[in-house]
Amino acid sequence: MSQVLHDIEKKIIDSLQKKSEQTPEQLSESTELSIDQVRRGIEWLRLKEFANVIESSKVTVSLGRNGIDSLKNGLPERKLMDLIKDGSKSFEEVRKTLSGAGFNAAIANAKKNGWVNIEKTDSGSTISTKEKPVETPEEKLISLIGDKSIPEEKIENKLALKFLLQRPDYVLQNTEKSKIISLTERASQIDTTLSDIGAIDVEADAALVYAARTHPLKDTIDEIREIFVKLGFSEIQGNLTQSSFWNFDALFTPQDHPARELQDTFYIENLKSQNQASSTQIKQVSKSHSQNWHYDWKLSESQKMVLRTHTTCVTIKYLAEQKPDEARIFSLGRVFRNEKVSYKHLVEFNQIEGIVIGNNTTLRDLMGIQKEFYKQLGLTKIKFWPTFFPYTEPSLQTMVYNEKLGKWIELFGMGIFRPEVTKPLGIDKPVLAWGGGIERIAMLKYELDDVREFYNNNLNWLRTV
Amino acid sequence: MPVVELNLNRIKKLVSGSTTKKKIIDVLPFLGLDIESQNGDEIRIEYSPNRPDYSTEFGIALGLQGLLGIKKGIQKTTIKKKGQSTIKVDSSVTKIRPYVTGVLAKNGTLDSDDIQQLMWMQEDLHDGIGRKRKKSSIGLHDADKISFPLTYTTTSRDHKFVPLNNNAEQTINEILSKTEQGQNYGWVLENTKNVPIILDSEKNTISFPPIINSVLTTVTTKTKNILVEVTGIDKDSVEDALSIVISTLQMAGFEFEELKISGNKNSTPQLKSRAISYDTKFTSQILGVEMSSSNMVACLKKCRLDATINNKKIKCIIPRYRFDIFGPMDLVEEIALGYGIENLEPKLSPSKTIGKKNNVTIKTSLITKTAVGLGLLEVFNSSLTSKKILYELTKRNSSEMISVLDSKSQEHTILRDSLLSGLLENLSKNIHESYPQKLFETGVVFSKGKPIRESINLAVIISHKDTNFSEIKSILQSILRTQFKIDCKTKASSQNQELFVKGKYADIYVDDKKIGEIGEICTEILDNFRIRTSVVGFEINLSGLIFE
Repeated sequence: MSQVLHDIEKKIIDSLQKKSEQTPEQLSESTELSIDQVRRGIEWLRLKEFANVIESSKVTVSLGRNGIDSLKNGLPERKLMDLIKDGSKSFEEVRKTLSGAGFNAAIANAKKNGWVNIEKTDSGSTISTKEKPVETPEEKLISLIGDKSIPEEKIENKLALKFLLQRPDYVLQNTEKSKIISLTERASQIDTTLSDIGAIDVEADAALVYAARTHPLKDTIDEIREIFVKLGFSEIQGNLTQSSFWNFDALFTPQDHPARELQDTFYIENLKSQNQASSTQIKQVSKSHSQNWHYDWKLSESQKMVLRTHTTCVTIKYLAEQKPDEARIFSLGRVFRNEKVSYKHLVEFNQIEGIVIGNNTTLRDLMGIQKEFYKQLGLTKIKFWPTFFPYTEPSLQTMVYNEKLGKWIELFGMGIFRPEVTKPLGIDKPVLAWGGGIERIAMLKYELDDVREFYNNNLNWLRTV
Repeated sequence: MPVVELNLNRIKKLVSGSTTKKKIIDVLPFLGLDIESQNGDEIRIEYSPNRPDYSTEFGIALGLQGLLGIKKGIQKTTIKKKGQSTIKVDSSVTKIRPYVTGVLAKNGTLDSDDIQQLMWMQEDLHDGIGRKRKKSSIGLHDADKISFPLTYTTTSRDHKFVPLNNNAEQTINEILSKTEQGQNYGWVLENTKNVPIILDSEKNTISFPPIINSVLTTVTTKTKNILVEVTGIDKDSVEDALSIVISTLQMAGFEFEELKISGNKNSTPQLKSRAISYDTKFTSQILGVEMSSSNMVACLKKCRLDATINNKKIKCIIPRYRFDIFGPMDLVEEIALGYGIENLEPKLSPSKTIGKKNNVTIKTSLITKTAVGLGLLEVFNSSLTSKKILYELTKRNSSEMISVLDSKSQEHTILRDSLLSGLLENLSKNIHESYPQKLFETGVVFSKGKPIRESINLAVIISHKDTNFSEIKSILQSILRTQFKIDCKTKASSQNQELFVKGKYADIYVDDKKIGEIGEICTEILDNFRIRTSVVGFEINLSGLIFE
């Protein structure tokens, strides 16, 4: 048996093997353990299925205040008989000695027992002995109970008990709950004398420990990054702080566009970019804006520093600098929006964006890459809808069917960079771009409905998710 | 994204062909419209800001007619030239709000739902292409209440008239300070002494652009003829807005009569369609679908454009209100929409390149692996944090603080220059969780320098009642030795650091270069964070150490 027993358990088992049914009190006596130790031991044995516990209740009787008085001095009717044994007495005289309720009870019971004669005269009633008073069953019962508490079932004269119970405070009934402990069959065969030195309780619960781990969101980011790499994309990185030039102007967002306002974008106080782009790049971008949007493009606006609102600024800068003929590139990282934080909006979240540049690359190829990407994530029911992004044309969004939510949800977007974006920067091949927010996908994975959970750093969640 | 509310029964009637509500619901997304919510026949739709022509049921019905094949090709608009109504522009507006344009919409009827739709359209146009009414703003008036000709001029701020939805005369100043429109849009005129005004021949005030119309010309369900006027600071922009209103009112059943405009820089709007020609091959190059020229023409017509083919070139005619179209690429998208996105089969071509992770990613993930191996739990904090956490509670020096402007959230106003503060905040929020608590984070930190320097830091923090300097130093050494074989030294710092316990902190050096700090966190700081257990931690700069 692999079960290791505590000394308390051993003593209780020992005792029960000798006498099979015992109350905790009896066990306490037989094992010389304290009652608390016995109770604890019984509970352990019960959980291990070594002991059966039967709860029973038992009624005992003992003497009340008047009963104890009667044991010493006799019942009131007995006292009365003592008073009048030498001759009749008037009620007045008797009442002096047997005051209050005792007097009435004494007269009534003596009469009932047929012990006395009562004569009514002009000067009041007198009482005299009629018959020699023998010991009554009630008196016998009082002597039997004495100063003990005895089980009600042991009292033979139930009628006497009934009479005494009807009289106030002579006999008390107490209901005592008690437990009867016996051993299960398994336990009755335990040899408590066998040594178990070195053995431990292998069945007992152990303390909880939490594994150290990477952040759940990091796991999703890594998973998505791996898929991009598998699909032939190479990772580039760029700063989180960017000039407006690369975040907006290079992406054909006019300088008075609502997205560029303070209420949507985080601008950095008192800091301006000095050499954000080459003079040719600035000249060409400025020209594209003036020609297409019909306004005076301002260099100073493009120098304002922002927290990037997308990773596209990193991609476009890379393309403008490297001008690759054929490439699959992606950039992944945090982006920022000046939003009120809520269950569905964060000011800072992760975005991934991939681009494909090359000859003979078409929108259908981009859709194919999307489809494969979702397949790798285990999402197979997808469709494409047209949408709008300021710097791509045509633009599509992927709708993915979520079985748990029972509806189509919008995931990544995609499109071809507008010629108004690529031409001024000297990129002469079509650039196909796709990407989106990572938290949305992670929320589906971890079945969260509040995006803030990823950044709450609630240890209970991080340790157990 | 702007939102439009529409009623399916009304849409179905406007589409005016054989269709069903279900078909309409199914086709809406393929116009690029997202159904935000549906409640019986009432639906809320998000439309793209580049398509203000979708700001009403009328415009959406126009698009639906095309994709459903009920009416195809360009929406032909006739503007009768015989009109005698004019607006004369006074040169005083030149420096304030130089342009005005307009048209007369005749012989129509509007019910209260129609008027509601037109009001929503106006609001959307004002917020979007009108740039909150600065660039352009629209006024719709009951033309029968007006004596032509009109004058677009300026007036002083004590000029009086009864504004829309009012019953008493107010001065310009009162309108700007007391009406909702005045309070919301008065900023557009904040730098001028005089303000623009449109007066009729009897000197009645018609409109005070871009703030409010006169009550005199209120459009009601009894209105038959409408004066549309648009003022603004950019001629193209005001004509853009006018073209949307005309297209919308035409769907609502109006006819048009020219409004002659004359005066400094202004002219009667032509609202002509334009043509873009390009090689038919371009479409298949972009979409990856072989398509006949006639099919392309058919697709464009489904998008309410016109096109002809001539010598392998496709010539596309674009109505004035489609100013979202810049060039051939936009037309390729139109062809894709006409063709049906659902008919484009995704195609997986093998990659000619081999994918690769960035070096920074690779090296950082090695650090992460070791950290987890050492029993540390990874946390993520925002790089945009608060002054309280970053500097005040930690008593760190805030002289080089980098702030963002006008954050909507108090908790996100400062770019972090350290990760440790965030980790202390994490401990603070988890004091009811079981100990030991051992956390780490890798992430970008910011500092000033041409204009901002970004680098990647690693910070580790350990909290339990018996922790001490030796425990955290062991972790530090182990992280740098594993994988990277870097030996670091800790040297007692001469600088006074309030974050750490006196005598129990050090600078971390690798090859005589300081890379970070390590120590036991001072009780006072722990009190600030309500942490009641000992805490030790370090932070090092990984940039320049394990990658550039």
